[in-house]
Amino acid sequence: MIVSAFLKSLFRRRGRTSLALAGIAVSAALLLDMTMLASGLTVSFGELLGVSGYTLRVTPKGILPFDSDASIENGDQVARRIRAVPGVRAVAPVLGAQFRMVHGDSAGAPLFTMGVEPESEFLYRLTAGRHPGPGEVIVSEPLATDARLKPGDAIVLAGDLDVSLGRARATRKYRVSGVGDFLYNYAGEHSLAMNIGDVRAATGRGADVSLFGVATQPGTDDDALAKRIAAAVPEVSTYSTRELMAEMDKRLLYFRQLATILGSVAMVVTALLVATIITIGVRERFGEIATLRAIGIRGRRVLLAVVAEGLALTAIGCLAGLPMGLWMAGRLDRILLGFPGIPARMTFFAWEPRRVALAMGIVIAIGAVAGCIPGLGAVRAPLGQALREEAE
Amino acid sequence: MMALALAVALALAQASPPQAAVPASPPSADAGAPARLPEVLIDRRLAEAVPLRVGDTVRVRALAARGTTLPFIVGGVFERQADPNRISRNEMELRFHLPDLETLLPQKDRVDRFAVVLRPGANADSAARWIEGVAFGTRAYGSAALASESSATFRVVSRFHDAIGIVTILASAIFLLCVMIIRVDERKRDMAMLRLIGVSRSTVFRAIILEAVVISITGSAAGAVVGLIAARIVNAHYAAVYDTTLRFALVTPRIVLTAAVLGLALGIGAGALAAWRVVAVPPQKLGER
Repeated sequence: MIVSAFLKSLFRRRGRTSLALAGIAVSAALLLDMTMLASGLTVSFGELLGVSGYTLRVTPKGILPFDSDASIENGDQVARRIRAVPGVRAVAPVLGAQFRMVHGDSAGAPLFTMGVEPESEFLYRLTAGRHPGPGEVIVSEPLATDARLKPGDAIVLAGDLDVSLGRARATRKYRVSGVGDFLYNYAGEHSLAMNIGDVRAATGRGADVSLFGVATQPGTDDDALAKRIAAAVPEVSTYSTRELMAEMDKRLLYFRQLATILGSVAMVVTALLVATIITIGVRERFGEIATLRAIGIRGRRVLLAVVAEGLALTAIGCLAGLPMGLWMAGRLDRILLGFPGIPARMTFFAWEPRRVALAMGIVIAIGAVAGCIPGLGAVRAPLGQALREEAE
Repeated sequence: MMALALAVALALAQASPPQAAVPASPPSADAGAPARLPEVLIDRRLAEAVPLRVGDTVRVRALAARGTTLPFIVGGVFERQADPNRISRNEMELRFHLPDLETLLPQKDRVDRFAVVLRPGANADSAARWIEGVAFGTRAYGSAALASESSATFRVVSRFHDAIGIVTILASAIFLLCVMIIRVDERKRDMAMLRLIGVSRSTVFRAIILEAVVISITGSAAGAVVGLIAARIVNAHYAAVYDTTLRFALVTPRIVLTAAVLGLALGIGAGALAAWRVVAVPPQKLGER
């Protein structure tokens, strides 16, 4: 009864309570966003790495995937050695190169081109046409749209430009066999995929491979398999999804720390708001509380009622803050995805129920603690003095 | 000397005397004198990590090449210019004479980029177009265009910070309004008394606004001090994390002034709203519980 009476008092001052709820909702929304941001890109990156079913990456020693022009020599032989490691289900080699599309005498901007074994389906998903055979290419959807390409069209690609003669050299004609959704491309990126043999022939890079994607057999531990591959092929580096996510974490340290700082600020604002509202509310009802104590209501019950008031405020504020936070996350995500080179499929804000529940739980706990301080003050005040003040 | 970021495999051969290693530069004309090894400059962080000192011999191989490992003498240690674009990659850097670097790489007679200095009065745009016309396949940028092209990351970060700033201002405005309303509500009886003894509505209104101004100015001053302290902590933290001289948080007089003006405007707005709630009610009703 006491608790419900105290909760009702929140609604007596509707304007004030609404403002406090709005403040808590904004703070909770900010905290929710920062919680989602703290791990969002890493989690999203991890999901993206695994989407093709290839959970390990094998790269030139000490190099992260496509971090430099370095390549693995004798790629075919290395691939055989990796395939022989127990737990490996499939190995997909990739050779990266730059080509330019040639139109008459002019050559376009460089196009990132991936030499792949088409049947591996490691880096793209077909959206139209079929996988490339020899002399054929897959174009990314933005390239197909912008260059008005469709399966069956012919294109000329140049591996190099002759600066002095003012023309493309090493040109070859290819046929577009299909259009692909490239998993790791940023929004609007123009890129190509073709048979790895074609890239090697066009660039003269023998049996080079930029990286291998490795798919594991069911029930195989990624990290343990990465270690086995590293032992079997010591001249390369093997990264499990977890290791690549840890590397991504290092590079995005700034965002994680910014999220921590802003999340902490949001919690402090919430605590101040709740403490202010409850303190003033308790002060206004000092006499009421004293009267309750005078008629025999235990201080503990009064304290519980004050704490319940804080809890109710923060819980309702959090509920209101959740949709606001999700809306804000969508807007902020749109801004952050403008970063150059970020894959279009990634998100900076990941919804992780456990982390979100923890963040909201902390806000609600702050509300309870904020209610404790004025509550304790009210129940510990000398009864006689409190009653006299009320009478005055 | 041209600065080039190059991923290298570095094999340290500190024990071997420089003369004992195979020279990478053409031999000296004086056949009797021992050939000098080419020199390399080492990033200070790399020098500390290995560790390396001036005069040490290092063996270098380019990862992008099949070439052999070549010996170089550490000719100096340099502090890399703080570059926010590369801060998170934590790459080490070596600097070679261009011909020495070329010996390490598979491609010959190739460059990544040229820096061109124009004569005074020359038009950068027309020079850029002329270069693009002469050198097929090249792109030439003026300094401003290059800065704009390479600052896309920071424009995104800036927009993100602006968005967060708006949310923070919203939360602060609500907080301020809440505080003002509570403060005024607390003293409703006093306000009623003042009104009943003849103090005008406008005087009460002004008094509440004045109080809001004082709270805003005090809060802004305290906020500026907290901001300065926080900026110092943030900068010290990131300087340690990234080993950089870059400053991540900057509190300038203009920022302080903007924040103070914003705080004052919010305070006056909140005060006006709170005051309106009091002066719009007849004094007889203000004393009611």
